[in-house]
Amino acid sequence: MEPARHVFRVLLLLLVAVVIFVLGRTFLVPSSYGEHGPYRYANVAEQRAVRAPRHGGPAACGACHAERLKAVAAGAHRAVSCEVCHAPLARHAADGAKRAEMPVDPSAAACARCHRKIDGRPAAFPQIVLAQHQGGVEKTPCLDCHDAHSPKL
Amino acid sequence: MDENRKDATAPASPAVGRRAFVATALRLGGGLVAFLAGVPAGAAEQADYDWTQHRWAYLVDTTRCIGCGACVRACRTENDVPGGFFRTWVERYVVSPEASHVDSPRGGLDGFAPIQTPFTPTKSFFVPKICNHCEETPCVQVCPVGASYRTRDGVVLVDGERCIGCGYCVQACPYGSRFLSPETHTAEKCTWCYHRITKGLRPACVEVCPTGTRRFGNMLREDDPVRIAISKERVSVLQPHLLTEPQCFYLGLDKEVR
Repeated sequence: MEPARHVFRVLLLLLVAVVIFVLGRTFLVPSSYGEHGPYRYANVAEQRAVRAPRHGGPAACGACHAERLKAVAAGAHRAVSCEVCHAPLARHAADGAKRAEMPVDPSAAACARCHRKIDGRPAAFPQIVLAQHQGGVEKTPCLDCHDAHSPKL
Repeated sequence: MDENRKDATAPASPAVGRRAFVATALRLGGGLVAFLAGVPAGAAEQADYDWTQHRWAYLVDTTRCIGCGACVRACRTENDVPGGFFRTWVERYVVSPEASHVDSPRGGLDGFAPIQTPFTPTKSFFVPKICNHCEETPCVQVCPVGASYRTRDGVVLVDGERCIGCGYCVQACPYGSRFLSPETHTAEKCTWCYHRITKGLRPACVEVCPTGTRRFGNMLREDDPVRIAISKERVSVLQPHLLTEPQCFYLGLDKEVR
């Protein structure tokens, strides 16, 4: 019986090692790890819920400002989302209710981001050199003449 | 383990108790982990979004880009990107046969100012950049803790809880799409606005693009406009020689673009 006891002891030690390994692994590896690959699957749901979307898109703005949206859709800025010049929707409204004034940047610099003539823009895109525009209008705000929602005069 | 099994079958052997103990311990351990994590098993299953029905792809038509930077600003506000870092940015290429100049002042956040080059440019264009959400992702391969991964619907994400901030992925990405956030000290990158696209919205950069330069679609939908454009037009990807299989496709790329 003596030699068998030695074997038994070794096997017992081995079993203890296995149990410690399995228990340690159970505690250290996150529960959803490996469900769909070598990563924590629960993080996919966390990424979905990381925050509520802040940009709503023109349709969301149209829920309250349908007339304005219609006017923009008829003008040269029809492809420009409201949130390009205004702030993201979430700053202004949440759950269908207004929570703050909607800021807008009416400066010439805001217009210049798209329409100042610089190298790189497609030639067909409307670009302005202020010094040559209507005989020089560097000092005049663009919005004195143009309607930002339908800028073509 | 044969010896052990023989023991287990012997009457009044302690091995049976041991086995039962191990099984119970495992069950208890697993249960305890689930309890500590605060999520019941299977909570991550998505009821309102089926990721097997989507494989996202991004299309950039550089011939339309006007370099306004609306995408960069939208990304910033949508994702709270820390100052000085970018999940997307716009580059300007000013090129002549002899020389070329590339710049991206503040990632294009405030648009671009006129530029003087020491050579006479013969062509110039803007190239928006973003994480390419590669199929063969170098960044995921190097992650030592399984924090970086690619979802079933084709989006490369970072698990901020597991990320240890070692920065291997930042170095591995050949497109410079990742950075270590000074706030969380973990790797961050474009997620294609995963919190938006899984709710039927488009990524913020696509949403605000006024020229249709940036487009986003589902490759598993036969009638998806982006899928049609990618399958019919002559698209290219950035650095194809690296065999990363980017899922961000480009129209009108120039040889100068890396």
